Amino acid sequence: MPMGATAATPAELAGAKSGRAGRRVAVSGAGAVSGFGWGVEPLWQGLCAGATAIRPFSRFDHRSHRTHVAAEVPPPPQGSVPVAGRSAGGRRSASDRSGRQLSLADRFALAAAGEAAAAAGLDAALPGLPEGAGGVFFGSSTGGMWEGEGFVAELFGGRRGALHAIASQQVNGPGDAVARRYGFTGPVETVSSACASGALAIGAALAALRAGEVEVALAGGADSLCQLTYGGFNSLRAVDEEPCRPFRAGRAGMSIGEGAAVLVLEPLERVLARGARPLAELAGAGSACDAFHMTAPEPEGAGAAAAIAAALEDAGIEPADVDFVNAHATGTQLNDDAEWRALERIFGERARRLPVTATKAGVGHLLGCSGAIEALVTVLSLARGELHPVPAAADAIDGSCPAALVTGRPLALPAARAALSTSLAFGGSNAALIFRRWTGPSP
Amino acid sequence: MPDVASVADRVKRLIVDNLHLEGLRPEMIDEEAPLFGEGLGLDSVDALELVVAVEKEFGIKIKSNEIGRDAFASVASLSRFIAGRL
Amino acid sequence: MVITALGTAGAHGCGRAGLARALAAGMPPPATEVDRSGGFHRAGGAGRALLTPIAALVPWVPPAEARRMGPPSRLAVAAARMALADCGSNPALLAGPGTAVVLSTAFGPTSFSEALLRQILLDSPEAASPYLFTESVANAPAAQIAIACGARGANVTLCQREAGPLLAVGRGAAEVAAGRAERALVGAVDEMSPLLHAMLDRFGALARPREIARPFDRRRAGVVAADGATVLLLETAAAAARDGRQPLARVRGWGSAFDPSAPPTGWGRGSEALGRALRRLLARCGVQDIQEIDRIASGASGSRAGDRLEAQVLRAAWGAAALPPVLAPKGVTGEYGGGFLAAAVLAAAGVDGVAAAPTAGFDAPDPELGVSPHDGTPLPPLRALLASSLAAGGAAAWLVLGPP
Repeated sequence: MPMGATAATPAELAGAKSGRAGRRVAVSGAGAVSGFGWGVEPLWQGLCAGATAIRPFSRFDHRSHRTHVAAEVPPPPQGSVPVAGRSAGGRRSASDRSGRQLSLADRFALAAAGEAAAAAGLDAALPGLPEGAGGVFFGSSTGGMWEGEGFVAELFGGRRGALHAIASQQVNGPGDAVARRYGFTGPVETVSSACASGALAIGAALAALRAGEVEVALAGGADSLCQLTYGGFNSLRAVDEEPCRPFRAGRAGMSIGEGAAVLVLEPLERVLARGARPLAELAGAGSACDAFHMTAPEPEGAGAAAAIAAALEDAGIEPADVDFVNAHATGTQLNDDAEWRALERIFGERARRLPVTATKAGVGHLLGCSGAIEALVTVLSLARGELHPVPAAADAIDGSCPAALVTGRPLALPAARAALSTSLAFGGSNAALIFRRWTGPSP
Repeated sequence: MPDVASVADRVKRLIVDNLHLEGLRPEMIDEEAPLFGEGLGLDSVDALELVVAVEKEFGIKIKSNEIGRDAFASVASLSRFIAGRL
Repeated sequence: MVITALGTAGAHGCGRAGLARALAAGMPPPATEVDRSGGFHRAGGAGRALLTPIAALVPWVPPAEARRMGPPSRLAVAAARMALADCGSNPALLAGPGTAVVLSTAFGPTSFSEALLRQILLDSPEAASPYLFTESVANAPAAQIAIACGARGANVTLCQREAGPLLAVGRGAAEVAAGRAERALVGAVDEMSPLLHAMLDRFGALARPREIARPFDRRRAGVVAADGATVLLLETAAAAARDGRQPLARVRGWGSAFDPSAPPTGWGRGSEALGRALRRLLARCGVQDIQEIDRIASGASGSRAGDRLEAQVLRAAWGAAALPPVLAPKGVTGEYGGGFLAAAVLAAAGVDGVAAAPTAGFDAPDPELGVSPHDGTPLPPLRALLASSLAAGGAAAWLVLGPP
């Protein structure tokens, strides 16, 4: 249905409700920065080894914070990360000239976008896209707040502070930086809906691609560790002193992480036309709000279930077609219980047998980026035919949320048909994405 | 043994000063009434806000797994809990 | 797609009548002294802003409910309730899975974030207040609207600076058009804390020494900052007709673009490409001839660079054809807080005098711009209005509105 058209007829509305009414959208590239390192490979290897990147960190002095671990991004390999590059047409953009205007979150985003573009075979092509063809859909909860905190600390101390430190503070900074790097002139928008941001951004990209608003979308998110969120989640006593243990009986809270994740999304025909192979198909997206409480999830999981149901309907598939779940799984008592109820509502009896993985146990909760990095891991799981385990833990799976968590070794699922990735946010905004394994040109 | 009654007075003052309950004065708070659900009708975030205030006021540390338990059922039980930590 | 309700809170007070009067008269409400006791402001810097009288919000959000809300949440919930009252509907209309919420905010909840940082950085992380944290996240206002209204559809918060409000309308409209929502509460909310105000001044964004916004004017010297919230109810024309809700205005189309030459806190040089993007959007909306657009509601705010780019983009899109009358409501509403969005809708709705309003703050055209905003001369009823906003950092968003 053309974007921006006048009021749709009932028939158009009915048809548009299912993703089948629009063109199919593929993931053609992926890039990531996480506590396991800069790149998709360190992320994947760390997760598949059942390791955790959640450990004591050095970004700021945490001695007076209630907890002392996080999944901090290590320094990039020497000389391997281009922080600023030439933008379209050989003209340098403003952010190139003043690299100091880039926040750490911006740098994560640019690295992930660069890796994704290269993986899609598009890094040369992106700056030369036709006008309006390229767009960025990003999620972030704090943008350049880490740098902003430094500035604000100066102010509190009665000093002036340097403006460049606050210039990059905006939540829309990372998404805008990516758009600037590639000279995009299409839609650029940043979602800041807490833990659902990345998934909502990917959903927005899907809608824009289907509607023909863009031809190539860089969709994902970025967030960096900062004292505001680290202290904030600790004020809610929501953070475990140990690395989080989703779905386990003794789980005691979440772990915070940082990084970025970017997916290159294009119409399927476009990917195939240049002889590239999709990593997976982005089949559907759905979202719904608990409208219940500002911090606690609605305990019966109704809002989460509604988001999942909407995503399934959007993808035109049934729950029985989903072969594994990348759960939101923060490791708090309340989230995992509510999420389990949602999975039971959707999958019924089958929920207990449906393989589930919890990426946050490996890389922590990336906040505004979490939905994006978990979507990326879901895509890799389909493309590589295996589901990563969670790190070993002493306590058993909680009998009141008995998810079939993958433990020990990766679970081989070479024939998985479709996968669900869920994001259940602080404030009650829930988002779900459905990815389909790419099996070849003839579906 | 610290005076539980004076602890209770300070706890009621903390509730009034930190939880922004319109028109509430310390003498209006029934020490035996439930704090959460009914009674004052506080919720989990109010509990956490009160914990921060109590830790600061009394110089004690309250562990996460102690919050929301029986100690927090009423002003009276909370005051006894605090007095036991002083 | 139609807009069937408008709730707005700002320096003009609560509700659209006060804003409409101010717009029609070309008279901004009085700006208020910003609290400078924090010591962030510089001597000789800007010190006033268009601030919502807090007491006016109390009937909409009583203290018992507001006790844990930060300023943006209070503004947003108040505006949502004003919208509901505006269309005379039963609250049950908004409750349920069919109502999406899409809000934008330029800077998020700044006063609570600042207070929380004070606790963490100056006192101790263990002094961090859960109240402050839960209300310092950008999506708190949208979440509070959902709770207040029982709105259980998609809940999205967009952060794209000055382009956020029109982007939020477009996003909400897309949800409804695609059948993912039956209706959407869409809009914008901003608070203007002293620290944020001082920062905008340090970046040279605020009008000084005379704190007057002069859109497109030769002597324009910056914006006047504002706080507030605007919430619209968007739905299909069929749904509105079925329930007997009279549309205020029609939404004919929406779209956005980006100027990659813009620095993160300023405007760029990409007017030609933005002009072409605007032409493409108009074509997609079924506007065959650009002269069908007979009114523009421009986001020009008094910013030297922003207004220049806005003028260049409009000139680029219109090419050789003469521009229609250009309204520049930010002379009355200030920048941020959703006032511009409300003004654009009121103009499209044909509310008395708003669609032909004089431009507050405008005295003399800037020869470099080649655009003079409207002077208040009566105009025939409009057929199609283009609302335009260009954000610092490069985003651009447009909306095409029509009369009901």
